Amino acid sequence: MTTQTKPPPLSSSALDLPVRRFTPAEFLALAEVGILTSSDRVELLEGVIIEMAPIGDPHAGTVDIYTEMLPSRVDRRALLRVQGPLALDELSRLYPDLMLLRRREDYYRLSPPTPEDVLLLIEVADSSVEYDRNEKLSRYANAGIPEVWITVLPERIIEVHTEPSGGRYTHTRIFAPGDTITPGCFPDIALPVGEILPG
Amino acid sequence: MTTQTKPPPQSSSALDLPVRRFTVAEYYAMAEAGILTEDDRVELIDGVIVEMSPVGSRHVGCVNLYTRWLSQLVGDRAILQVQGSIHLDDDTEPQPDLALLRDRPDFYSSSHAEPSDALLLIEVADSSVGYDRHEKLPRYARAGVPEVWITVLPERIIEAYTEPVAGRYTRNRIYVPGDTISPSALPDIELVVSDILPE
Repeated sequence: MTTQTKPPPLSSSALDLPVRRFTPAEFLALAEVGILTSSDRVELLEGVIIEMAPIGDPHAGTVDIYTEMLPSRVDRRALLRVQGPLALDELSRLYPDLMLLRRREDYYRLSPPTPEDVLLLIEVADSSVEYDRNEKLSRYANAGIPEVWITVLPERIIEVHTEPSGGRYTHTRIFAPGDTITPGCFPDIALPVGEILPG
Repeated sequence: MTTQTKPPPQSSSALDLPVRRFTVAEYYAMAEAGILTEDDRVELIDGVIVEMSPVGSRHVGCVNLYTRWLSQLVGDRAILQVQGSIHLDDDTEPQPDLALLRDRPDFYSSSHAEPSDALLLIEVADSSVGYDRHEKLPRYARAGVPEVWITVLPERIIEAYTEPVAGRYTRNRIYVPGDTISPSALPDIELVVSDILPE
């Protein structure tokens, strides 16, 4: 028998461990049986259930502005999905703020849109901007989503990320009030940034 | 409009994000709903469902040796629980390989053992020794489990941790074949280390 005094190193977080990941079907079942409730703002990212930041009033209002502005200009050339699911990959169900989707007869009632269905994806970010920029953007690029706008409320700018290649967007432009912004999928549309981000 | 070329930072793991943690009650609801099944070898650590590494035959054999020797030596002075759960707190419920528990008339059929019921917890570690030492041990200490043995198969040693203070064990002794080892709670019992860790 030997005696040693060195204390064991203290652990950091449980997440250094191999966590049990959930499939999208299990994720839905958690809601159906009431373990996840409507008070849970969560999304499924690579099988891990992530808590989303609560939506503040500026965030909600900006989503509403987009929701009012886009349909009349897009007309019936695409579907607008607001905070609905996106099957980014087999183990992810994300809820982007807005998406313009290829029209499909079933309105995606039978299965969720996948990246090939997304024409434009828009995030509205206040406190969540780092999450959107660091975590989500590279995953959207990996999945081949052609265009992502990150609407940064504190800075009153819209970052437009295009040309995904090798897991990142190779082209980023920044739009401010005074500019107009045109989605790559509908070159005839010009959205006044000042109306999306009023002073 | 400005153009920038700085690439976005690459994302790391979904586990760096704020994950939705589960309580023990939700954890059991998942089992009841069939979302977690018998095929899931999992335990709940800080609200995260962690997958346990598969148990190899060497691990099973060591648990079997402990079961034989401890049940003979301890008799009816304590309850020997093999690979059952210990309710450490509302979001942590690990399954140590063996536990010597205070005798209770219901044999813990009405509720899981809590830290105050535990006389000794024993882990058998093959590849999982880092997990046992760095993740489980501090949590056992924090919960006030009085004594933990980590049986390290590759090294043929038993590490005995006692005297938990402020989330760690302040005393750590190492036993090798040739030694005998006694649980502090039952000091008259002597296990022969080489019986547990034969060549």
